[in-house]
Amino acid sequence: MEVTISLRGHLIKQFGGEQERVVEVPENTTAEEALKLIGIDWRTARNFGFVAINSHKVLMTAQLKDGDQLKAYPKISGG
Amino acid sequence: MFGYQNKVLRIDLTRKGTTMEPLNMGWAEKYIGGKGLAIKYLYEELKPGIDPLSPDNKLLLMSGPLTGTPVPCSGKLAVAAKSPATGTILDCSIGGHIALKVKYAGYDAIIFEGKLSKPGYVLIQNDKIEFKDAGDLWGKGSHEVEGILVEKYGHEASVLSIGPAGENLVTMSCINSDYYRQAGRGGIGAVMGSKNVKAIVVIGTGGVKVDKIVDVTNRLTEILRTDTTSDDNMFIYDCGTTAFLEACNDGGILPKNNFSDTTDEEWTKYNGDVLLASKVGKRGCGSCGLGCGNFIKIGDAVCEGPEYESIAVAGPNAGISDPESIVKANQVADDMGLDTISAGDTIIYAMEMTEKGIHDFGIKFGDKEKYIEYLKLMARREGVGADLALGVRALAAKYGGEDFAMHVKGLEYPQYEPRGSWGMSLAYAVSDRGACHMRAYAPNEEVFAASIPPYTAEGKGEMVYNLAIYNAVKFSMVICDFWPLSLERMTEIMTMITGKEWTEAEMNDVAKRVINIARAFNQREGFNRKDDTMPKRLANEALKSGAAAGQKIPQEAFEDMLDQYYAVLGWSKEGMVPDTILCQL
Repeated sequence: MEVTISLRGHLIKQFGGEQERVVEVPENTTAEEALKLIGIDWRTARNFGFVAINSHKVLMTAQLKDGDQLKAYPKISGG
Repeated sequence: MFGYQNKVLRIDLTRKGTTMEPLNMGWAEKYIGGKGLAIKYLYEELKPGIDPLSPDNKLLLMSGPLTGTPVPCSGKLAVAAKSPATGTILDCSIGGHIALKVKYAGYDAIIFEGKLSKPGYVLIQNDKIEFKDAGDLWGKGSHEVEGILVEKYGHEASVLSIGPAGENLVTMSCINSDYYRQAGRGGIGAVMGSKNVKAIVVIGTGGVKVDKIVDVTNRLTEILRTDTTSDDNMFIYDCGTTAFLEACNDGGILPKNNFSDTTDEEWTKYNGDVLLASKVGKRGCGSCGLGCGNFIKIGDAVCEGPEYESIAVAGPNAGISDPESIVKANQVADDMGLDTISAGDTIIYAMEMTEKGIHDFGIKFGDKEKYIEYLKLMARREGVGADLALGVRALAAKYGGEDFAMHVKGLEYPQYEPRGSWGMSLAYAVSDRGACHMRAYAPNEEVFAASIPPYTAEGKGEMVYNLAIYNAVKFSMVICDFWPLSLERMTEIMTMITGKEWTEAEMNDVAKRVINIARAFNQREGFNRKDDTMPKRLANEALKSGAAAGQKIPQEAFEDMLDQYYAVLGWSKEGMVPDTILCQL
């Protein structure tokens, strides 16, 4: 199935400066697994924040469906 | 210690006299500067129970030891007084260049006492202080006033000014500087207005002594490159606080229609991409390393920002998605000298009151033209604005709607919805100046990171305490919010600039003192646990949309968080600072 992975902040370096790409992933892929497919391991990535599927924050274990948008944020701070 | 000017300028407005005195260095060692030292001075000098809008209140400008040095992000100034909105202690942090001018004029602090007999402004040129007539400035907007004064005194002058809201003692009025920078909250503008001071002009041409200047400069250059401007922090240069819009929307904490829900389907109409496509300029404060300021111009609307708070309140929380209207609302509020948060919250409360048929304020969600018109009316206390200028707490007492009156201690709610970040309800409740997001910023841990579950009371007392400790010491050093430097880095910088060896434990002790003395000030004014509240809406109504759909905060969970927080600080169950701590402040 195809999902769109959209990166924010310094994470876009993973896409060479592009903000998003359409990526082919297996059925039932989790957010964590999809990010690993593009080379991001959230547990070790510097200053990783959170993920959202279709603009709703979810856990890393949330499963993707065909056509979903997965967004990954770095940790931001301020107010 | 290096870094300090060791001088306080005291201005008696009633007698039009000035005195100079040494900075109390014993207090500086315990509270550093900025927020902490300002509160210490007010705690010692203000009599309990004074009317915040009387000549008995004092308006205090406090820099810190880093101000005026090349330390990145150190160009902010604490502005403090007793708050006319809440009756609590009030300290604000203003950017621009005024902090540097105060320091270069030779002062760590300037204290304004008493009241001018008629509207005037104060001109401070190093050690020469003059009292000027402001009859022709009174009634004008802040932007025009600043333009006139900069034209008159040149670009070396920095100006603090109030708009009509401050003149009219509106308790949600702010102080402006550099046109679009504010000491925003708690009615600090009304304190200046109550003293008949329309503006303060500062020209400072001196310098600041630091220890080992060559070593300091070399090390700070390295810190700027590897820490301040690291990739992790550059989102603020690229996007300003518009970056928070999308993250808050996705995280389920972007409020909609007076906090009745979260997550706006229209958000892409006014998001960072849309606003930044209309960027016409950029700048940062003095000594800044990050440059968050973006000038946005859409149609005839222009402002620096708009910041996340101003977008959220004049946008989704008002049922408005037109970016030009959002920018215009920011521009008008700044010029009128109104806090965008409190003024906006009051308007959206009025929108809900009207829609529910409780009281007709003549405005409903989505009325973007009226939103802007009402800001002007509020600043001048005209028409419906005379009522709205009272703020949410007073209006709820007068007309009802207590269930959705979003404030703590009379200070209106910032735009981070706590049902998606339970710790934020605690942070708002225990903040020293009423509902404020700048004392402990819970979304950092609960929403923008995967570390702490947001929908539970467990551990939130300690979490908010740790966040508050961090900000207390940072704001006492008067470092900008947008540089998330570590405590280790803060300690290194303090040692480097002052020449006194600081330890992380000492910095933590400073932070605890600051939190305690602010609480002690409020305690002396009669505040205790009964005032550390959460709006009823958060306990009674579950969110319907977004990542936090279904969430509400049970009152017992909120009380549990309060218990935890008090316990970490060693306060009583009633939230009182014990004598054993008071005697050490």
